[in-house]
Amino acid sequence: MFLLLVSVALAADPAAGTPEFSAEQLKFFETEVRPLLVEHCHDCHGPKTQWANLRLDSREAILAGGDSGPALVPGKPAESLMIRAVRHEEGAPEMPEGDKLTDKQIATLVRWVEMGAPYPGGVKAADARDPNHWSFQPPVDPPVPTVQNRAWVRSPIDRFILARLEDEGFTPAPQADKVTLIRRVTYDLTGLPPTPEEIAQFVADDRPDAFARLVDRLLESPAYGERWGRHWLDVVRYADSNGLDENIAQGNAWRYRDYVVDSFNKDKPFNQFVIEQVAGDLLPYENDAQRREQLIATGFLSIGPKVLAEPDPKKMEMDIIDEQLDTFGRAFMGMTFGCARCHDHKFDPIQTADYYGLAGIFKSSKTMEHYRIVARWHENILPSPETEAMKAEYEAKLAAKRQAIDEFIAKTNEELCNSLGPGGKLPEKPEEHYPEEAKKALKKLRDELTELEKKPPEYPSAMGVTEGEVADIPIHIRGSHLKLGDVVPRHTPPVMRGPQPPNFTSSQSGRLELAQWLTDPNHPLTARVFVNRVWRWHFGQGLVRTPDNFGLLGEKPTHPELLDWLAHRFIDSGWSIKALHRMILNSATYQQSSLTRPEFIERDPENKLYGRANVRRIEAEAVRDAMLVIAGRLDTSMGGTLLHVKNRGYLFNHTSQDATQYDSTRRSLYLPVIRNNVYDVFQLLDFPDPAISTGNRVTTAVAPQALMMLNSDFVMDCASHFASRLLAEEGSDEQRMDRMYRLAYGRGITGDETRSQLDFLAKVEKALADSEADPAARRQEAWSVLCHTVLASNEFVYVK
Amino acid sequence: MNAMQPGNLLSRRALLKQSAVGFGSLALASMLGSESQVAAAPADPLAPKQPHFPARAKRVIFLFMKGGPSHVDTFEPKPQLDKDDGKPLPFDKPRVQFANTGNLLRSPWKFKQYGESGLWVSELFPNVARCVDDICMLHSVHGTNPAHGGALLKLHTGSDNFVRPSIGSWVSYGLGTENANLPAFVTICPTLAHGGINNWSSAFLPAVYHGTPLGNASIPSDQARVKYISNSKRSRELQRLQLDRLAAMNREHQLQAGPEASLEARIASFELAFRMQNEIPKIEDFSNETEATLKLYGLDNPVTADFGRQCLLARRFAEAGVRFIQVTHSDTKVQWDQHSNLKEGHEKNAREVDLPIAGLLTDLKQRGLLEDTLVWWGGEFGRTPVAQGKNGRDHNPEGFTMWLAGGGVKAGYRYGATDEYGYYAVEKKLHIHDLHATILALLGLDHERLTYRYAGRDFRLTDVHGHVATEIFA
Repeated sequence: MFLLLVSVALAADPAAGTPEFSAEQLKFFETEVRPLLVEHCHDCHGPKTQWANLRLDSREAILAGGDSGPALVPGKPAESLMIRAVRHEEGAPEMPEGDKLTDKQIATLVRWVEMGAPYPGGVKAADARDPNHWSFQPPVDPPVPTVQNRAWVRSPIDRFILARLEDEGFTPAPQADKVTLIRRVTYDLTGLPPTPEEIAQFVADDRPDAFARLVDRLLESPAYGERWGRHWLDVVRYADSNGLDENIAQGNAWRYRDYVVDSFNKDKPFNQFVIEQVAGDLLPYENDAQRREQLIATGFLSIGPKVLAEPDPKKMEMDIIDEQLDTFGRAFMGMTFGCARCHDHKFDPIQTADYYGLAGIFKSSKTMEHYRIVARWHENILPSPETEAMKAEYEAKLAAKRQAIDEFIAKTNEELCNSLGPGGKLPEKPEEHYPEEAKKALKKLRDELTELEKKPPEYPSAMGVTEGEVADIPIHIRGSHLKLGDVVPRHTPPVMRGPQPPNFTSSQSGRLELAQWLTDPNHPLTARVFVNRVWRWHFGQGLVRTPDNFGLLGEKPTHPELLDWLAHRFIDSGWSIKALHRMILNSATYQQSSLTRPEFIERDPENKLYGRANVRRIEAEAVRDAMLVIAGRLDTSMGGTLLHVKNRGYLFNHTSQDATQYDSTRRSLYLPVIRNNVYDVFQLLDFPDPAISTGNRVTTAVAPQALMMLNSDFVMDCASHFASRLLAEEGSDEQRMDRMYRLAYGRGITGDETRSQLDFLAKVEKALADSEADPAARRQEAWSVLCHTVLASNEFVYVK
Repeated sequence: MNAMQPGNLLSRRALLKQSAVGFGSLALASMLGSESQVAAAPADPLAPKQPHFPARAKRVIFLFMKGGPSHVDTFEPKPQLDKDDGKPLPFDKPRVQFANTGNLLRSPWKFKQYGESGLWVSELFPNVARCVDDICMLHSVHGTNPAHGGALLKLHTGSDNFVRPSIGSWVSYGLGTENANLPAFVTICPTLAHGGINNWSSAFLPAVYHGTPLGNASIPSDQARVKYISNSKRSRELQRLQLDRLAAMNREHQLQAGPEASLEARIASFELAFRMQNEIPKIEDFSNETEATLKLYGLDNPVTADFGRQCLLARRFAEAGVRFIQVTHSDTKVQWDQHSNLKEGHEKNAREVDLPIAGLLTDLKQRGLLEDTLVWWGGEFGRTPVAQGKNGRDHNPEGFTMWLAGGGVKAGYRYGATDEYGYYAVEKKLHIHDLHATILALLGLDHERLTYRYAGRDFRLTDVHGHVATEIFA
């Protein structure tokens, strides 16, 4: 017994150190023991739960043991609690729960303990909640690696990519041809297809910087902001309706959408963009326009889904704050704060106290006008000459009405005095002595005033926040506002190293300080998360392949140095998003072909090394917009709202009648985004759930989507317009077909293809012979079928 | 693994393997078959496949009660709970709970024993009670997540924190479908909430195994359609012509674009779409059903008609050879989620589903379909035996009842139990992973062998877990 105690003490002493194990021993552990532990032990004694405070997922943890002491004595199976437990020995707990391990499994464990319990070193006891997790440390500014194939390099980005490729014995794919490149980059930057004329121009441009010039031109196009603004709208869960229980119109949300588009087009520095969205109402301003912009920006905090009929107003308030905080964390930091509302975050080192430290900031701000059912969100009135004029007009009306009342009273009083004869004194309550008619007339005037007061004009306003009652709030135990714990001072999560933690004062909510902390150049997450998002939107995959999760459950970056290097250059450039685009797009990495040697694809099927371009389906909006462009029907006017329901009006009445309309030919960005009922064409093409922040859309190809491409009126109408357009052009059918390919695919048609398509056209015309007697109509319909086929084809909806 | 690799399905890996000569058109063209063969769908990834071992069930109908029906008020009576009504729970509540709860709350409903098996059913399910001798109660199911979203995902995909293939997708991948003109996996009126599409998504499995929704939970079932199922303008012949051209163009394009599994998936999706638009309207047409059958499912009563229609559709899909059919009861307002007003809410919900479920079981049985159709009933969790507020119950993933019927399970059988109050599963605990493993086993699939290689790892529905509850096998 004495011996046992000694060895336990030794084993539990961290100073005793970890012995070295042979590769063979570690292999035995990995192949025989670890699977056993994972399957039978870690559910209850692992990263998620630790019954009896015991974890069995690292050597340290096993030796440290749990409530019943160390789980294992290296070299001594008979004295190891773990072995006694799996043997169901008396006095030991019977483990694992459920079926007893087989004799063979027990023998494996015994052998492992006899070996001294080899376990790979460097595996920390608690990977979960690791405060040293890479993403919580400020980005380093790494040296740019050296590479062998310097001729390939066009940008420092390429060195980072190539260094890894060379390490793994890969060579990059050749550069894509010019037609592929212009189609790729035009969809990428504008969400629209390049016109045949633009393609011809680019192909003919043999200046060495032709591609860079193309990128510059696209970045200057207003369509750029419409495309990249939409990416950001995914992240901020933009919608034109509340969703959830009371699906009412967010009739002014569009102002925020237009603000986002405009900010991208202006290349507003990203740090400023962040600060405006979190604290725009608190920023100084020089004129109405700037004030309006900054007020509208705070719509970011307000446009989330809310349970507007929640019977408990306190709960509703905390739910709204929770939604704000969660979106705030995901959008800017790739963190899921929501979990910490009820308990310390299971995986990330974010404690409940940190949650309420941040929640206090939002609690001190005002998002809602009131919390009665149906609750009403706050809107900031937007200053402008128009607003001033409306105010003045309204004030004037009120003043006039008040004056009319005063005058009426004066006049009637005088008449009353007069009626009392000379020297008659006005009675104390003169109105009681008015003649009936005068009483009625006065009441009418006063009623009119009340009506007028009740109905101020609808000033131009925007969803957004303003300062509220500033206060620190207590921890809500298990997330309940009914069980309050200690008050937590407002603070930022201490685990995020780099920026100086801000001081929060009792005179301001702290949103401005929070926003400044977030955009501190030393912040470990803000720049990294955003450059990774931009990378994701250019390549279809992030350097961190979970762009919305930089926490412990997220993936580690495939190229950590590149990520940090980009974050530094982004900040150095003054947080210029357009500079970031240029840096990425002008790299050889971006300009690779999608074709490479099969063995490279076999070895890197997910293209984690970026040794080729990804073949990607264009997004829902781009599919629709491209169809409208080709049909010659796209209305490119910008901004404003297409919602047919007035602000705060219901999108669904009690019979679930759908009040949404999608028949516009404006760009997809401007179609109303209705929560719980997204436009089905978009839904089928993987538009994200607009109630949740999403930086990583999925792409599916399922039969219902194909049915939409085959049978929807929208696609067939576009095809028919496309056909009319082609038929209206001069020339032969062969020339029309070439034009069709250039419009839809960006390339000319081959001779073989022309023959196949002519043959197809003839077959279709023949098939239509019975149903359509008029040759002109038959020809139109046959071309519509052909155009429809082109619109449905992979080549149309994919870029390579 | 190889046995499971669906015929000529061009997953990215397979495509790469087979195009080792680069992207030479010869290899790819021969692999894809000539244009004229496409209509005949050579080596369809949905073609029926042999299970790992003889199957007891050929298909699944999952009757999903969204919100979490209370086991202590439906199928697992707790006399001790009645006795101790109002007293505190004499042991600890789970470490993580969804909401605050109070003391024990007795069931407002009486239980009775039914049939030869003598299984207990409460007043909420008088019609299902008639069928208990076909039912195998699983009283010891437990999960991990106390919130709807996580629990739904866990139940449907085995994971509550990653996007993983749905069980319906795994089953379709493992067994294909017996009707090439229909998707292998349909979900009728699924909820768009709480994971929504992820609950019927194929995730990293080829997209052809994605569930096909008919409508959604906010749409009455008589209006639930597969979107865009018909074309008002074009004849079938013309569409066929068009599709053949489309397939030829897509294959040409694939040679130029490089290997991308989703290109192939999209080609396949058009073929399936074309076949579906011929087949699905036939299934939705009830005109050849007798008056008696319609009545059996409660289609003559406005209270039961909506869910009854879903159940009848499920039987018709089952008959037509669909592999996995999910039916969802999820009223947009009052789901099985009675945090308060347990009595009103559960009574309303039970009235809507009780008769149709009994109708489905009866109808399957009389048609001889119950033998090889596994009917699976339940919600994402049960409810607490302790009260939330005055008259509600909170979510309880710690122990609850689901039941199976037909498909080779013991009939009139009860498996496992929760504690004397119904809080924790204690006897023959059956984790969601175990349930998944068991359902796969009934279908002839070994959950440890039904794997898919993705990102360098062989994934399973049951991850590294799952024990088959062979005791319930008939």
